[in-house]
Amino acid sequence: MTTRVATVLSEPTAAQAHWDALARKARIQRRTGLALLYGFLILVSLPVMVPYFWLGTLAFSARLEDVNTDVLWPSIFILVPAVMLTWVWSIFARTRRQAFVGWGVIWFIAVAVFAVVLGPSLHLDNFRFMHNPNFNTENDTIVAAEDNPGFSVTAFPWVWTAFANSLIIAGGATIIVVIIASLAGYYISRFQYRFRTSSLAAMLILHAFPATVLLIPIFILMWQLGLLNSLLGIMLVIVGLELPLAVFIMKGFFDAVPWEIEMSALTDGATRRQAFFKVVLPQTVSGMIAVSVFVFIRGWEEFVFVLVLSTKQAKWTMSLYTFFVTEENNLGIDFGLVSAVALFYILPSFVLYALAQKYLMQMTISGVKG
Amino acid sequence: MATVEFRNIQKSFGSVRVIEDLNLSINDGEFVALLGPSGCGKSTSLFMLAGIYLPTAGDILFDGHRVNEVEARDRNVGIVFQSYALYPHLTVRDNIRFPLRFKNVASDETESRVREASELVRISELLDRRPSQLSGGQQQRVALARALVKNPTLLLLDEPLSNLDATLRLSMRTEIKILQERLGVTTVLVTHDQLEATTMADRIICMREGRIEQIGSADDLYLRPSSLFVASFIGSPPINLLEGFVEGGGVRVGNCTLDIRGSGAGEVTIGLRPEHLRFGDTGLAGRIAQIEPMGREILYVVDSDIGTVRVLEAGSIAALGVGDPVNLTFSEENTLVFERDSGIRMVDARFHVPPERLT
Repeated sequence: MTTRVATVLSEPTAAQAHWDALARKARIQRRTGLALLYGFLILVSLPVMVPYFWLGTLAFSARLEDVNTDVLWPSIFILVPAVMLTWVWSIFARTRRQAFVGWGVIWFIAVAVFAVVLGPSLHLDNFRFMHNPNFNTENDTIVAAEDNPGFSVTAFPWVWTAFANSLIIAGGATIIVVIIASLAGYYISRFQYRFRTSSLAAMLILHAFPATVLLIPIFILMWQLGLLNSLLGIMLVIVGLELPLAVFIMKGFFDAVPWEIEMSALTDGATRRQAFFKVVLPQTVSGMIAVSVFVFIRGWEEFVFVLVLSTKQAKWTMSLYTFFVTEENNLGIDFGLVSAVALFYILPSFVLYALAQKYLMQMTISGVKG
Repeated sequence: MATVEFRNIQKSFGSVRVIEDLNLSINDGEFVALLGPSGCGKSTSLFMLAGIYLPTAGDILFDGHRVNEVEARDRNVGIVFQSYALYPHLTVRDNIRFPLRFKNVASDETESRVREASELVRISELLDRRPSQLSGGQQQRVALARALVKNPTLLLLDEPLSNLDATLRLSMRTEIKILQERLGVTTVLVTHDQLEATTMADRIICMREGRIEQIGSADDLYLRPSSLFVASFIGSPPINLLEGFVEGGGVRVGNCTLDIRGSGAGEVTIGLRPEHLRFGDTGLAGRIAQIEPMGREILYVVDSDIGTVRVLEAGSIAALGVGDPVNLTFSEENTLVFERDSGIRMVDARFHVPPERLT
């Protein structure tokens, strides 16, 4: 009896030590696992990150007279550790406040070191194309296009012309696609009609073909319609290519809006149209934003159809502009200029993605379903 | 405030007939419940009243006027859905105000009516929130306020309580009932929950497969069901139903014969509510197979001469144990006899335990 009491009494401490050991083991395992995982992720993301850093560094530092990589390596050695530290700190910071303070410190140091080491090499000269429409003649970095027999231009258009063209094409296509996809998506989601399922399947198949196979037919079509060398033509091509998927995505968003809400609006005195605009449509705003971003970026980066359907330099878009900045350079590539143009080109897409990220995530979760 | 009438209403979706032939009139200010299992056409009937579905045949009358073609938006019907169907992008205030946007209501009147409706369901302090920031019970109240703000001619409740937890359901039940009595608005409740129907409605319409099985008060449905379906649908724990065969003056059930009175012959189903069975010193012999305490009552499962039956006894402590021999009795007026094939109740048929077993 006494021995039993003794074991009962001594048990808690023994058990506690046991649990503590187990807890410690689990903690160590979890941290090691995390460290390995993040280490691996950082390592594989390096090849993805480095070109972007180089692009940025080149745009602000390269000069025509000394084409070398002296600036690139130091910049990588400063930026990559800074980014890694930012990530590592994101894992270890316990509160938001701690996280922000840590990031602040890391980037203050990084920027300071960057300024000291590379400050003297930085300049804005590569961005001269933004304020000087005739930078090519002044600088001799780009040869007028009469040397190029395949291309009937005399000079580069001003970058802002190309920028505006891109904006018109991407923006116009976006507006058209969002309007049509919302209406069509609503109809497909709400109404039963013959061949509904098969038409949906067919729509997706359309999107499975690479658009380039349609290059010649579309060229002939545009020629017949008299839409060659017009922004409208390219805009319509992008609308046609992007519409099927956009309709499908919008249908998914409308599917998620319950019938009852519409019924409720109808009994509350709304007409079918009012119910659509005041009750149903506001609930698919994130879908419309997601579709907008996709179509806009698709239009913004469109290259092949612009190249084929427009032969006049006044109709160049940013994609063609960027391409010919690289292409037309006969005196050896002006790395700085190309990088600066590229940076200028990707900036709108980047900003758009960053702003719309929240909505793009929703799309992958709720948007695409039969 | 209005009277409502269904006259020979039929409704089909494609080739599927959902409502067979519905005839029903609802009085002004009455609270009726459409009760039935899912798929019995009760929600379809409700949506036809709201003007969302058009009847395939027949007429719907409001105050004696045919309203078949009147658009949903012009019927001035308030409806509360099971999912509440609040507009997620609008605040509570705008949700309640929504029905008034389509009417020519002055803005100061709008404000006062919104305030009134929200005070009625006690959500005045929630007006600036969004539906997603509300609990289920609060959303329910907002939906009710939105339905009431337009002073509806007809209030339709489509399973309004089934998304609430048990306690809340109980209090909302009382609250809706009190509100309806105060406002005197004609109300139609659709539910599959017999308790909701019996506690709230003045009159219950029990439906099955697009037909009305029985119309009556809670007592009518419970004590005087017109069919086997109603008898088995209403009541918890469910009624004991036993198969019997009538011959001579008796009905053969299990391994004994009960005396039967009234018309009827051939195969029947007899019904006995669990609380109408009593333990006694004499009667049908049996043995307790299982005991299920239910709080205020105890449910005994008894293997008896007439088969396995459930017996409900008041009390919270079981006086008997599993395996104990018992005797069961019941009084004749609580017995129900149904034709086996049609399920229709033989109204004048009653049965009782043969006298020789009671000595």
